[in-house]
Amino acid sequence: MYQALLTRKYLTSKVMPLLAIAAVTLSVATVLVTWAVMGGFLKTLLDSGRGVIGDVAITWPNVGFGHYEDLVDRLEARPEIEAATPVIETFAMVELPSERVDSVALLGVMPQGYDRVTGYYDTLWWKPLEERTPRDDERYDLRVVGPESGDDSSRESLKAQDRAILDQIEQQGRSMTRPDPETGRPEPGAVLGMHVSGENMRTSGGVYVPYTSTRFEADGGIGVTSSFLPRDGSIGLTLLQFDSSGSPVDAVTRRLPVANEFFTGVYEIDSKQVLVPLAWLQGVLRMDEAELLDPNWDPSEASPRMNPDTGELEFPQAPVVGISPARVTSVLVRGTGRPDPEAVRAVVEEVYAEFEAAHAGAVPVPGAIIVQTWQDRNRTLIAAVEKETGVVLFVFGLVCFTTVFLVLAIFWSMVSEKTKDIGVLRSLGAGTWGVAGLWLSYGAAIGLVGSGAGTLVGALVAVNIDAIHSWMGDTFGLVIWDPSVYYFTTVPYDLAPYKLVTVGVAGVLTCVLGAAWPAVRAARMDPVRALRFE
Amino acid sequence: MSTDATILTAHHLHKTYRLGRVKVPVLHGVDLDVTRGEWLAVLGASGSGKSTLLHLLGGLDRPDRNKNGTAASIAFDGRSVTGMSGRQLDAYKATDVGFVFQFYHLLPELTVLENVLVSPMVRDGMGYLSSRAERRRNARELLESFGLGHRLGHRPVELSGGERQRVALARALVNGPKVLLADEPTGNLDRATGDQILAVLNDLRETMGLTVVMVTHDQVVAERADRIVRLEDGRVVDRPGPARIGASSSENRSQGDSGGDGV
Repeated sequence: MYQALLTRKYLTSKVMPLLAIAAVTLSVATVLVTWAVMGGFLKTLLDSGRGVIGDVAITWPNVGFGHYEDLVDRLEARPEIEAATPVIETFAMVELPSERVDSVALLGVMPQGYDRVTGYYDTLWWKPLEERTPRDDERYDLRVVGPESGDDSSRESLKAQDRAILDQIEQQGRSMTRPDPETGRPEPGAVLGMHVSGENMRTSGGVYVPYTSTRFEADGGIGVTSSFLPRDGSIGLTLLQFDSSGSPVDAVTRRLPVANEFFTGVYEIDSKQVLVPLAWLQGVLRMDEAELLDPNWDPSEASPRMNPDTGELEFPQAPVVGISPARVTSVLVRGTGRPDPEAVRAVVEEVYAEFEAAHAGAVPVPGAIIVQTWQDRNRTLIAAVEKETGVVLFVFGLVCFTTVFLVLAIFWSMVSEKTKDIGVLRSLGAGTWGVAGLWLSYGAAIGLVGSGAGTLVGALVAVNIDAIHSWMGDTFGLVIWDPSVYYFTTVPYDLAPYKLVTVGVAGVLTCVLGAAWPAVRAARMDPVRALRFE
Repeated sequence: MSTDATILTAHHLHKTYRLGRVKVPVLHGVDLDVTRGEWLAVLGASGSGKSTLLHLLGGLDRPDRNKNGTAASIAFDGRSVTGMSGRQLDAYKATDVGFVFQFYHLLPELTVLENVLVSPMVRDGMGYLSSRAERRRNARELLESFGLGHRLGHRPVELSGGERQRVALARALVNGPKVLLADEPTGNLDRATGDQILAVLNDLRETMGLTVVMVTHDQVVAERADRIVRLEDGRVVDRPGPARIGASSSENRSQGDSGGDGV
């Protein structure tokens, strides 16, 4: 009992325990923030795969494979599979509205199916915001104020005209089309990653503002260019066609209007990926359905003949011997619920084997086809991040272990200062364990207060890490988290309860450990010498 | 020789301290009997070993093993103190004896009331919780009886020397010990305040039947006791006979000088 009383009194009447508490608070907060951010980075990296390829991708690059509708049907017939969708993955050179040329990953998708696998519709950026958050009042967001109403951010809701425009743009993204300005007929459109064009400025509030630039005109005037791609932007795509053997045969260039832009939060995707309709891409790459001509037909044996109606000379065509099905390079698969990607992969491999048996000779054999999870595709990066997380935690843990010695030094000093108190307590009948318990409980109390405060501070910093980072950037020009380096546009964090508990308990144990030696010293102190201590 | 009237006996007490490599003998075979209810003064100069003797009697320290084969022994109420385990010694200090020191040794962070309550807290451990209200009431009453009722919430630093020593006395007595061991209780006080403390000790002896063993270097202070034992260089140089229990201090002042074999 006297331990509790003296612990409380010592805790509140001295400066030194406050220093120890501050040290523990900082250490615990540091470790927690590090763990939360590094863990968050890893978790977001792993989770982001679902928003990009689903759980598993079946891939046969370049040449692609046919009969994919059958494969999709077979996959979706399995209860373990929620959805599957065919895509073409290829590379292209993109000519942007700013006339900048860049290389991008081009993905031909069927929007509805792609949404079922990856949640694509949710990533569409330009659409009316359903709920206006308090934070939206403080920032300019075109989705809140409307593209027509400019910076009138005081309005509570979108004007009907603005809503109609944004609804239209969202629909463009969902269908990957944009109406032809002259005919009004929908034509295939591209959906760009938010950072592809370089035309969107990200604000510290985390929203994007379409780019507005000024330029000096030849006549001395200043021209203003306002670019809102989904309304008036288009891109040029130059891509390679492959023949049925997978060899490049030709480079073709096509121009596509921009239908919308998407934002996944994965910088690598948002800055390097362009989505186009699958059917359009199949046509451009000549991967659509085609007639198979007789390869044994000898054109020298056929002679041209005159068309009596037109009077023109017609050359005979090789006889059609079959139909070559449309091809895709990949089928993306999403498991039911939140499955283990490896379990989904096993199901996919099983289904693919059945599929291959049904189309023997027409599709790649199971051993050759590539079946990968997101982790497989990014194994090098993920392994590096996992290792880095472990190393950083170890190093920070080691640094924070110095807290043990700090607490030890402070307690050693306090035990010396309180030598007479120890003698008095022993003269009153306090046992050695009781005196040791006093200092251990004192250490535990400092640990509890310091760890509690550190956990709270660490959690608050982790939760607000993105806002803090933005503030540091705005105020000091300090940008620690460069999305081009760290993959994600925002600083991720993962504050799992077990992390809070682990770091908090470790903080308390650290203090108890630091207090242990001084506690033993206090317990073993000769009471007579303690009473005579000057 | 001890009798039923004897509450504390010590025989063949030797004690040597080490100061680095140097051995400093402090006690050389001290024998002492303390009669129940008496006020015994151990008078000696500085370094004579009187505080060491008090520490041994109170279980704060253990006597040396004697080389000549005679066993050092301390007995309290028929129980061997020298044979007690560490835990038993702790219980002995918490229950049977109470210490008062020259420099009060109050815990500076605690209030007056808390300083006194530390004693039952140490003795009762977790059991203190169940009797907390009663312990607080006892401590408050004791402090009020010492004229400190208005100082309960004060810190030691806010008290005078005499008040501090009365708090120390209350702390020593709150658990109801049979023997009070006082180490120069007036050594840090002016004469008038010291007299007040001695008056309190005398009053405790007379009203509560408390046995008091007081060590002092001050002849005048020692003369307030029932009996005086002189200690010189770790040896008892004269052992006056037991005091008449209940006799006033003034009647016994000179007994310390009358010689005798002791009990």
